[in-house]
Amino acid sequence: MTLWRHELRLLLRQRPSAFALVLLALLSVAAVATGMAEVARQRAAIAAIPAAQAEDIGAVADYVDRTKDAGSAAYYSFHPTWDAPAPLAFAALGMRDVAPYMLRVRALGLEAQIQDGDIFNPQIALAGRFDFAFVLVFLAPLFVIALFHDLVSGEREAGRQRTLDALPRGGAALWRRRTGLRLVLLWATLGLPFAVAALAEGVAFGVVLLVLGAILAYLLFWIALAALVGRLRWTSVANAATLAAAWLVLVLIVPTLGHVVIDRLVPVGQGAEIALAQREVVNHAWDIPRAATMRRFYAAHPEWSDSPPLGADFHYKWYLAFHQNGDEAVAPRARAYRAALERRDRAGRALGWLLPSVGVQALLTRLARTDLAAQLAYQDRIRAFHARLRSFYYDYVFHDRPFGRADFGRAPRFDDRAEARRQSTSRAIG
Amino acid sequence: MSLPSSAPILIEDLTVAYGDQPVLDGLTLGVGAGRITALLGGNGAGKSTTLSTLLGFTRARSGRVAVCGIDPGAAPDAARRHIAYLPENVALYAHLSAVENADYLLALSDERHGRAAIVDALRAAGLQERAWDQRLAGFSKGMRQKVAIAVALLRAVPVLLLDEPTSGLDPRATADFNGLLSAVRERGTAVLMVTHDLLSAADVADEIAVLEAGRVAHRVAACGPERFDVRALHARFQVAA
Repeated sequence: MTLWRHELRLLLRQRPSAFALVLLALLSVAAVATGMAEVARQRAAIAAIPAAQAEDIGAVADYVDRTKDAGSAAYYSFHPTWDAPAPLAFAALGMRDVAPYMLRVRALGLEAQIQDGDIFNPQIALAGRFDFAFVLVFLAPLFVIALFHDLVSGEREAGRQRTLDALPRGGAALWRRRTGLRLVLLWATLGLPFAVAALAEGVAFGVVLLVLGAILAYLLFWIALAALVGRLRWTSVANAATLAAAWLVLVLIVPTLGHVVIDRLVPVGQGAEIALAQREVVNHAWDIPRAATMRRFYAAHPEWSDSPPLGADFHYKWYLAFHQNGDEAVAPRARAYRAALERRDRAGRALGWLLPSVGVQALLTRLARTDLAAQLAYQDRIRAFHARLRSFYYDYVFHDRPFGRADFGRAPRFDDRAEARRQSTSRAIG
Repeated sequence: MSLPSSAPILIEDLTVAYGDQPVLDGLTLGVGAGRITALLGGNGAGKSTTLSTLLGFTRARSGRVAVCGIDPGAAPDAARRHIAYLPENVALYAHLSAVENADYLLALSDERHGRAAIVDALRAAGLQERAWDQRLAGFSKGMRQKVAIAVALLRAVPVLLLDEPTSGLDPRATADFNGLLSAVRERGTAVLMVTHDLLSAADVADEIAVLEAGRVAHRVAACGPERFDVRALHARFQVAA
């Protein structure tokens, strides 16, 4: 029997160690399964969109086809957008559980439609989602502490250290071997369920390796900390208490305080405030001369200024124009809101260079495309799609073209992959 | 006293200090193959430091230390390949059986022996058969010592270092242990035994060295025609302590 197998037997015969490893394995499997189930639920919801959309549009088309009114078509038609989960999303759900991953938009004012959705579900946001990132970042250090706090001190307290040190393959080599074994077991306990799930979800091999590397690095950080505390030659109880305090500080207190400081330094308003401001501009349009609304709209969008003048009756082009005026009135606030969110996000990521817990979480949500940047990119795709939607309906409304059942089929359709491609192309062009 | 340079344990003019505090001060001691030397002395006389230095845990300030010709300060791992060491309290793994403990300690000694060899050694060490596959939780000190001695027997190392081996043992267990030591001696092992137990030392050792202030103050034969008078040594030891 090799020394490694001896060490493995020795470790697994210790009930607390064996229990800790089994518990971590169960938590890893449960977290991965929970994440996969949530992602599957989101994919199923997205997959159900076309059928529901066809039903909705069918109902609107029945009405519109009778009147041939393009304005009614634009007003009553909802068009779905969605943000399909990336293959790695199961491991780090990030903002997907609190921010919308589906949004049905109309060709009306967009800001209110987007910002209404930024209100987090407080029930979920409070508890946090149980996913692999949670197990790795918050729970795994506790298992490192359980397995390492008495690595040397336990032998010293049991009176075996001198005996072990006096053996040819005892001493430093023994501690390195035991450290290596525990590290490999912890890594396997976390990494195997993750890797199996990641490959099943179609995560790129390089990304799987990157995450496995991040798991290893995070475990090594905590093991190094345990070794550092162990060098003080305190008792096992003192080591455990010190490491538990370090966990509390490094995983909970400092990140929380860091985010409080960032929130203070980078104030960000509420998206709902933008939605409210947009609504106020829109509502104000009912109180001002319609000609003033149209002048403002045509000044910003001369491509539609060849439209016939407004008559005395209600016309959807006026309605659509003041909705767009509303969007444009709050555009600077929306840009400032987004810029502040990005500044706050950058500051949070900078904190990750100092705090491994924050850094690993940021890395996982970035790779899983479930972070703020991914959420903002989805908003960009919605905006781009909405612009195409407006252009499509305006062509009918501003030129008084009749809108029939067949025209619904010509309406732009959201395709998140195509929108993402357009997005990166426009970024590349600058 | 002249020491044969081939003696498995050789200490010459050894000085060891912890900071400014000298613990060993010109200690000279040798143990030949097939000999048992008992090292006696009061608390702080330097007995445990002598063992630590032989094991390479403590560095000498000056003088020479050799285990089978190897300086344990310079090459501790090489020196430890020739040493079996039993601390005062032989603490083994309570959740492993006697056979498994022996197997593990042998693996840490870079040696592999089958179960048959291990149970032979346990039998030779006097451990009852029913205890071989029992977990060590509940083993007495004497039983744990027998497991450690079995490991030493299997390793067949030329040097055995013992730190207070009979403290806490009842007279029967002490007699058993001394019988074991005699068997070890018969194999040609050099045994250095640190002890407070003068009677046990007188029973098993070939030579008794009494440490005072970090050096050997008295050296007496414990067997043969020049065997010391126990009462006289005891009286002298009490004065020294």
